[in-house]
Amino acid sequence: MASSETQVSCRDVWKVFGPNAAKVIESGDVDLPRAELMAKTGCTVAARDISFDVRRGEVFVVMGLSGSGKSTLVRCVTRLIEPTSGAIELCGRDVLGAQPKELRELRRTKVAMVFQHFGLFPHRRVIDNVAYGLEVQGIDRDTRYRRARELLGVVGLAPVEASYPDQLSGGMQQRVGLARALAVDPEVLIFDEAFSALDPLIRREMQDEVLRLQERLQKTVIFVTHDLDEALKLGDRIAIMKDGRFVQVGTPAEIVGAPADDYVREFVRDVPRGKVLTAAFATQPHGGEMPDEVVRHDQRLGELLPVVFGAKGPIGVVDGSGELVGILDRRMVVHVLAGREEPSVPEELPA
Amino acid sequence: MAAPTATTMRLPVAARIAGGRLGRWAPPLLLAIPLCVAAAAVEGIHAGFPAGWYLGVPRWFDGLNNWVTQNDSTNFFLHTIVSGFGNILNGATNDVVNLLHWMTWVGVLAAATVFAWIVGTWRTALFSALVICSFGVLQIPNGGPNGISQMWPSAMTTLALMTVAIVLSTIVGIPLGIASAIWPTVSRTLQPVLDLMQILPAFAYLVPIVVLFSIGNPAGIVATFIYAVPPLVRFTELGIRSVKKDVIEAAESFGSTRSQLLRNVQLPLAAQAIMLGLNQVIMMALSIVVIASLIGAGGLGDPVLNALQTQQIGEGAVAGLLIVLMAMWLDRSSAAFGQRAARDRAASGRTLTRRQLAGLCGAVLAVILVAHYGLALGDWPAGFGFSFVDQATTALNWVTNAFTGIAGPLSSFLTLHVLNPLQRWFGDVPWFIVAALVGTVGWARGGWRRGVLLAGCVVLLGLMQAPNGYTFQGTTSYNFVAWSDAMETLSLVVVALALDLVVGIPLGIAAYRWRAVDRVLRPILDFLQTLPAFVYLIPVVTLFGVGNVAGVSASLIYALPAAVRATTLGLRAVQHDVIEAGQAFGSTRWQLLFKVELPIARPYLMLAVNQTILLVMAEVVVAGLVGAGGLGLDVVTGFSRSEVGLGAAAGLAMVLMGIVLDRLSQSNPDRGRVATS
Ligand SMILES: Nc1ncnc2c1ncn2[C@@H]1O[C@H](COP(=O)(O)OP(=O)(O)O)[C@@H](O)[C@H]1O
Ligand SMILES: [Mg+2]
Repeated sequence: MASSETQVSCRDVWKVFGPNAAKVIESGDVDLPRAELMAKTGCTVAARDISFDVRRGEVFVVMGLSGSGKSTLVRCVTRLIEPTSGAIELCGRDVLGAQPKELRELRRTKVAMVFQHFGLFPHRRVIDNVAYGLEVQGIDRDTRYRRARELLGVVGLAPVEASYPDQLSGGMQQRVGLARALAVDPEVLIFDEAFSALDPLIRREMQDEVLRLQERLQKTVIFVTHDLDEALKLGDRIAIMKDGRFVQVGTPAEIVGAPADDYVREFVRDVPRGKVLTAAFATQPHGGEMPDEVVRHDQRLGELLPVVFGAKGPIGVVDGSGELVGILDRRMVVHVLAGREEPSVPEELPA
Repeated sequence: MAAPTATTMRLPVAARIAGGRLGRWAPPLLLAIPLCVAAAAVEGIHAGFPAGWYLGVPRWFDGLNNWVTQNDSTNFFLHTIVSGFGNILNGATNDVVNLLHWMTWVGVLAAATVFAWIVGTWRTALFSALVICSFGVLQIPNGGPNGISQMWPSAMTTLALMTVAIVLSTIVGIPLGIASAIWPTVSRTLQPVLDLMQILPAFAYLVPIVVLFSIGNPAGIVATFIYAVPPLVRFTELGIRSVKKDVIEAAESFGSTRSQLLRNVQLPLAAQAIMLGLNQVIMMALSIVVIASLIGAGGLGDPVLNALQTQQIGEGAVAGLLIVLMAMWLDRSSAAFGQRAARDRAASGRTLTRRQLAGLCGAVLAVILVAHYGLALGDWPAGFGFSFVDQATTALNWVTNAFTGIAGPLSSFLTLHVLNPLQRWFGDVPWFIVAALVGTVGWARGGWRRGVLLAGCVVLLGLMQAPNGYTFQGTTSYNFVAWSDAMETLSLVVVALALDLVVGIPLGIAAYRWRAVDRVLRPILDFLQTLPAFVYLIPVVTLFGVGNVAGVSASLIYALPAAVRATTLGLRAVQHDVIEAGQAFGSTRWQLLFKVELPIARPYLMLAVNQTILLVMAEVVVAGLVGAGGLGLDVVTGFSRSEVGLGAAAGLAMVLMGIVLDRLSQSNPDRGRVATS
């Protein structure tokens, strides 16, 4: 199953809140509509049969409306919420079978979380917040302060290390949250709607900060959000969640260009498609010789418009190694960008 | 348009009655009415409770008392556990007393002042110093131990008793609070016990404690502990529980162990709540010193008790004043201590380095050593003070004279036209009517279990009485009829409660409505709420003499601050956006009050009623000390005649009455939520 590069792997994970949760799954009652299930069994299904893998260095976004089960799912990964059934592997270790001590070890060293409402310790100074993860590991004071100062420098908060969280703005508080998570040097970072509580401008700033850090640190990231723009901006892959289920998992281009159902289509309707969809979406197979004008398959259609309407002859599409994969169909470009017609997705969509 | 048919008109009404408010009254009434008719048919209609029905509770307690006296030295439980524990308490108290004497008066003064300065401001320090000095300066001729005039030794004894009781409360209360916060089962088990401890008037458990520990300091400390510990447990639990869930989750996500979570996150964040609880413990402990003196705890309570019993009100006033001063001193110092954490954090105000702290402590120690060894000082010198009794008496006389024109007629009016008729009227109601009434209301408010339980309590209360001609150690006891005494207590409670609500709720509304009223009332209420219960007895006895009117007035004043506060708090809890919505529709200020704010605050007002009832009841029985009749007087009489059985049975009757009154007036079981706001 999981390749050696897989850092997080979930298989058939269920989470049912309520009495006799395990029985409810077996009995098949879980397929009842939400209200009926609640009336009959007193249970709510928050995660339904979820499977996914996240590769090392990948940013995996879980996106869905409020109440769709995102927070529950990511908490199952570290068993902050105990899954009802399924299998979870984190950095090659079996999470659900782990004893309390082993689980603590995993939480201390392998994975760290950034929370929607920051979850900062109000009674501790900023530096003691950032050093908390190291402190519970029993690391000595000097070492952990050194490390905490280093991280505070990274997120630009060195001057406020002696302040208390409630003296900082929301954006600064979440930087503390980010530094606190990074301080333990985890392999996996989980963001649960980490930026949802921030003002739009600050939110964009924080997203850029994450992209900048990610370029340097190449962590494995699970990023929960209800904001499609955020998902498209940050995600290498995006999982769209609805009523506890993944309705589609794919790259941003796949999600926007080839929505799996009406729910996803409705979601992505207003996305500026030229900024997300790539040349691959308007490429027809072509066996002939290399045209004069060529573009790369992963270039955004929006950027290509001058070429598309400026070139006289056919436009070739090449893959990463320069091989011709087809020609760009001008009619199709228009259709794809207008979102009027279901474009045919090339069989082998280069990632 | 066609008129609605009769059925469509009637149906919703019928449905509403069946399912709505009235519907709750139907099932209990259907049961209670036939039961009453049956009881009347079998027993006939006569006043009160049948004299021939009793359980013999006084005899059980007398028997228990005899058994304890005989087996004190042989039974393992009594000998080792109870006496051992008592000895520890006694030893600890003596140690603290000796330490305070060893420190000398200069040392005590220095320590208290410096502590107050460290945790508070220079005002706190000055106030502490003045209070300590007042222990020495204000004297009562022959008021102290062994007939001396100084109150210093008594004050030190009270301080020591307080210290031991508070330490005991802390080492029991905080761990219990932590355990309740961690394990829901512990919390569930503890809740009813704490509930009971809080509704019990202290008088109710004095006798059993004396049976176990006999008269003396340990009994006083245990009584204080039982009285004072519940808020500490509650505050600790609440403080830990109200740590935000996301903070806990964050700590867990970093792999904290259970104890790391507790130490690093939960306890520090609950510290302020715990300190508030501790402050409450101190205040409650001080409010019970006089009652504790009834069972042999020495100190400042003794002269107050003596004064109340011998009507030497001036001396009672001086000793009472000293207790109040001690309460204010400890209140301010401990409150300042509690706020310190928050203040350090905000980095404003004065913060001392470890060095400076150590220096101050060293200086205090040096002062003590010099005072003790160098100057050979001891207790406060007798010459540095004067008898304050004449001044106190003059002041009280002045009050009496000023109000005597009102107090006399008022007293006789209350007695003749309110209290006596009410008491007679309550006494005339047959017991089964009372039981049925209580059961019905209990059922309607809290389900059939509560109804049955409360009706059962009523019957049980009647059964507490002693049989006619009950003899104790050869002599015939006084005639203890629990039912009629409970009815007398009830009449006092009802009158005080009614007056409290009539005065308190409008005052509460006024304080909410007008900032100026609030500004004037706030310090007065603050002050009144720090006063121990017995303090109110002193002025009312001066005004009205001993008896029921004194009891009612003391209870009225004692419970009034709570009634006012709860009303204001309830109104303040109304969400601002709801009020805004009301304003947006153009309501006048009064429309807003009566149509929006008061209805929304209703649960809080019910809580105000509940709290007021419990406070009134507590004070009405304490007023037994000044001759207010009913169950409180039974306990006092039991003590003065050493009739353990009767005192204990009266105490049990109080418990039952307290449970009934509490549960009947309680519609909102979620006490903690409101209490903290
Ligand atoms: N502790 C819980 N007990 C019962 N139901 C819960 C609990 N936590 C979450 N739920 C339910 O599970 C569903 C998913 O919640 P959540 O994971 O918080 O969604 P999201 O993070 O996507 O907003 C919701 O319907 C919520 O009501
Ligand atoms: Mg969520």
